[in-house]
Amino acid sequence: MGSILGDLPSYDPHNFSQIRPSDPSKSSKMTPVTYHPTHDRTLPPPDQVISSEAKNILLRHFYARSEEKLRSKRGASETESLTPEQVRKHPRSSTSDARL
Amino acid sequence: MSTYNYVVTAHKPTNVTHSCVGNFTSPQELNLIIAKCTRIEIHLLTAQGLQPMLDVPIYGRIATLELFRPHGETQDLLFIATERYKFCVLQWDPEAGEVITRAMGDVSDRIGRPTDNGQIGIIDPDCRLIGLHLYDGLFKVIPFDNKGQLKEAFNIRLEELQVLDIKFLYGCPKPTIVVLYQDNKDARHVKTYEVALKDKDFIEGPWSQNNLDNGADLLIPVPPPLCGVLIIGEETIVYCSASAFKAIPIRPAITRSYGRVDADGSRYLLGDHNGLLHLLVITHEKEKVTGLKIELLGETSIASTISYLDNAFVYVGSSYGDSQLIKLNLQPDAKGSYVEALERYVNLGPIVDFCVVDLERQGQGQVVTCSGAFKDGSLRIVRNGIGINEQASVELQGIKGMWSLRSATDDPFDTFLVVSFISETRILAMNIEDELEETEIEGFSSQVQTLFCHDAVYDQLVQVTSSSVRLVSSTSRELRNEWKAPPGYSVNVATANSTQVLLAAGGGHLVYLEIGDGILNEVKHAQLEYDVSCLDINPIGGNSSYSSLAAVGMWTDISVRIFSLPDLNLVTKEHLGGEIIPRSVLLCTFEGISYLLCALGDGHLLNFLLNLTTGQLTDRKKVSLGTQPITLRTFSSKSTTHVFAASDRPTVIYSSNKKLLYSNVNLKEVSHMCPFNSAAFPDSLAIAKEGELTIGTIDDIQKLHIRSIPLGEHARRICHQEQSRTFALCSVKYNQSSAEDTEMHIIRLLDDQTFEFISSYSLDQFEYGCSILSCSFSDDNNVYYCVGTAYVMPEENEPSKGRILVFLVEDGKLQLVAEKETKGAVYSLNAFNGKLLAAINQKIQLYKWMLRDDGTRELQSECGHHGHILALYVQTRGDFIVVGDLMKSISLLIYKHEEGAIEERARDYNANWMTAVEILDDDIYLGAENNFNLFTVRKNSEGATDEERSRLEVVGEYHLGEFVNRFRHGSLVMRMPDSDVGQIPTCIFGTVNGVIGVVASLPQDQYSFLDKLQSNLRKVIKGVGGLSHEQWRSYSSEKKTADAKNFLDGDLIESFLDLSRSKMEEVSKAMTVPVEELMKRVEELTRLH
Repeated sequence: MGSILGDLPSYDPHNFSQIRPSDPSKSSKMTPVTYHPTHDRTLPPPDQVISSEAKNILLRHFYARSEEKLRSKRGASETESLTPEQVRKHPRSSTSDARL
Repeated sequence: MSTYNYVVTAHKPTNVTHSCVGNFTSPQELNLIIAKCTRIEIHLLTAQGLQPMLDVPIYGRIATLELFRPHGETQDLLFIATERYKFCVLQWDPEAGEVITRAMGDVSDRIGRPTDNGQIGIIDPDCRLIGLHLYDGLFKVIPFDNKGQLKEAFNIRLEELQVLDIKFLYGCPKPTIVVLYQDNKDARHVKTYEVALKDKDFIEGPWSQNNLDNGADLLIPVPPPLCGVLIIGEETIVYCSASAFKAIPIRPAITRSYGRVDADGSRYLLGDHNGLLHLLVITHEKEKVTGLKIELLGETSIASTISYLDNAFVYVGSSYGDSQLIKLNLQPDAKGSYVEALERYVNLGPIVDFCVVDLERQGQGQVVTCSGAFKDGSLRIVRNGIGINEQASVELQGIKGMWSLRSATDDPFDTFLVVSFISETRILAMNIEDELEETEIEGFSSQVQTLFCHDAVYDQLVQVTSSSVRLVSSTSRELRNEWKAPPGYSVNVATANSTQVLLAAGGGHLVYLEIGDGILNEVKHAQLEYDVSCLDINPIGGNSSYSSLAAVGMWTDISVRIFSLPDLNLVTKEHLGGEIIPRSVLLCTFEGISYLLCALGDGHLLNFLLNLTTGQLTDRKKVSLGTQPITLRTFSSKSTTHVFAASDRPTVIYSSNKKLLYSNVNLKEVSHMCPFNSAAFPDSLAIAKEGELTIGTIDDIQKLHIRSIPLGEHARRICHQEQSRTFALCSVKYNQSSAEDTEMHIIRLLDDQTFEFISSYSLDQFEYGCSILSCSFSDDNNVYYCVGTAYVMPEENEPSKGRILVFLVEDGKLQLVAEKETKGAVYSLNAFNGKLLAAINQKIQLYKWMLRDDGTRELQSECGHHGHILALYVQTRGDFIVVGDLMKSISLLIYKHEEGAIEERARDYNANWMTAVEILDDDIYLGAENNFNLFTVRKNSEGATDEERSRLEVVGEYHLGEFVNRFRHGSLVMRMPDSDVGQIPTCIFGTVNGVIGVVASLPQDQYSFLDKLQSNLRKVIKGVGGLSHEQWRSYSSEKKTADAKNFLDGDLIESFLDLSRSKMEEVSKAMTVPVEELMKRVEELTRLH
């Protein structure tokens, strides 16, 4: 039986192929350059400054419900066979229905 | 008044909180990305190992870090969310070599209870959305559109309030999360939800699983083809999916981190709280899970993150010990371990306590920290500057110059050390017994001062004196040729390399000679308008034995000039300005960049970039090294060339990442230095200082030196005693061998030179060491260690009993001489007016040291002060006592001698939960609190009313972004009393992330100047990810956010020195202060740490 650590992934066989084990009692001292960007692309494109929906989660729920009420009044064919009662009592299952 | 404070990092955070692997810098390159709380580090995987690429400061505390690849991208993007509810998506632009921001935003909600178990940030494996769990009962979604652009974020109500972990499941047609939560009966379950992006709601997911392991805390989603999730508990591991459920028992352990090994998710590395590394294997047949297997691989540092890199190499990031690069071997070693540690990366975190001591008695502070936790606990000795390890020394007064010479041109080692005095020259050489003894080089004139010496080609040596240049055979030691100065002229300064000699005589005569086999040829003579003060022809061009440029410093017009060789044509003239003449010039190359260094008589050093072809000097910079004239010399250490600046404040000049750095040498005053690489003392330096000639080796060239003393236990308090030359620790030893983890609290005594345990005192069962102090009492010459303890009983909320133990160190042993029971935990001890001041639960209590009739001593309660929630941190100054409370900020008490009473004088009425306090001066007190802020309060003695006087006014506020555990007065650097920086009082702090920082109290005018510089730098140095520096440093707690005041960010200010010349000029223009002046002032600040 092979080792449990057999066939470990290798993405590039060169990686670590020439590593020299350093004295484990001494720590590695290589320090990378500290990055101080001075360019303008630290700011994202204007449409990628993301904010949260301003509408409160509860208000959103009310709006969604009233919209559905409205739609159900217009006729069952264009809503998705939902009754307002169901929405009120089981918001979760109603949305799962909407998915279908 | 210490109102105006400058906060700067001396040691950056090293606590590794997150890590991930992916193709970030190029589609072909594999990167390891590490988060160290407020910084990320980008590494590249190479044949030689991990190569650090970039250290990126982030203006926030990193809460989550993920690499992901949206559809159509060839490289991974980096998602970072910060604890203050900002997020950004970063991309590497390989052409520009810059990190650019793809998206950023604020995901905070105005109402919401922050989660108790930390923030969760996850990305759907099919990149349809980013999910965040930041507030209880809410799951925030940032959807991606089909082009990979982010859209407006929204919340979904999450019924589960005590969430332990959330992950996305792989292989689901709709994005699906799995939630691990605890119900109100403390039972743990998992549940799945589909995220309906259009309806902005959850839909019940495909499966759930109730009543899991009570310690289940971690979910690992399994990628296709298996899919499903692993639920890691303390006693069981469960695999769960819609169609399968497999469980295995494990040895009790708290799994803290995991790393996926195979892309198909069949093997995982698990790291537990004891640092044991396990391999978890999902066995499967035809994509159907058949079972789980777990195998112990070995021990590592206690891992906070595990990233499989490539070819069996794994990165282990740690919060409690050093991080590691390990290799997984196919077969176990003799001890049964599959783990081989190849590299260690220093981590000082968590620093729970530290002390500042001067162990070498050189007038320079060293910080000794209690670092790490559990089995990875250690002491770390942190020292600034470069040390010289003395090998040999002789007393020699009046050294005027030193040079080392070889006995043959191709000899790898130096043989002779030429030491010049005012009226003679002596030659030392290594004899057969490897001892330095006086010898003679017959061809040299020894009755006069030597101005310069050098090895020359054809096994020759050159000696320059005021009257002649002598060329001597290094084998026969006989004179072969001599060039004599014209009568009436005496040589003042000279320099040489192995083929050239340049010398200057009075009256502005400059003479250039070339060295042949047995012959000195005068090639050129030039007449300058003024006298020459210093010269250099160090060959730094392509030819290592010939220089085509000469640097010449001048009297009178105070200039430095570059001449071409051999024709001595003037190429460049640079006026230095001012009235101080150049005393030493040096041509040198660091990291492939050529420089001209020019040292002035007043301890200033100028450096210029030198164009070797045109001889042009650009980018002039000025720094202040000391106050006395400087002599510059090159030397090699570890095959890299550095420059030694000998002066009243010896400094090594070196280059790192193409920037010149200046590091103090830990010697008081050095008049001359020359490299002396002999067979017996390889890679050594000969140093002339204070009437002594020393031969020694030099430390590695870096600014901070850290020595580790692994303890195998967790030191929690430390204190030094000068008289007994010992340290004492309150330490916890964890015993993991028995079935149940037990802990033992011990007082340890350590030798302050060897750091060996020399004596121990075990505390009682349940008794914790809480505070330690070295002090003496009135009417008693002994110096004692006092230890404050608490009995931490499982059934008590707060300890109701503790002890104060008084020890004397006798014959290297801790002798208990007195003990006093207390009615609570002794959180702090201070020496106070020859008495002992203790903070015991709600009370501050003063004890007298009383002599009993039988001659023994005891602690006797004198007076106290009630009125705290828990008095945790106490500092004193004269009769004043500053108390940092658990939750009632800072209060000021006063001890009244006549009445024998302690009364409250004033308090800060804010509700700050304190983590450390310090007294900066009589009126200003510094505090750190648990929202990572610093603040200062001022005693208002001049207040008109009692009410005003009883209020400590908040004068400074700043978000440090670090959890400070301790402040101590002191400095990491040797103080120069006559420099401006030497006058600035400083205080050092240590943090959970392993940061050592400095708070320096500045004069108001300097503060105003730097405040202006800081605001100008904010415009030039942009926050990575579009994060704002101003917001980052604003004081922030649950109750309020306010702009930083009376604190400056030294890290931002000192990064001025890293800017390109054009950006510096931009800042200089806005400031209307010349670049050179700005650089000098900022460079001086870097010498505070």
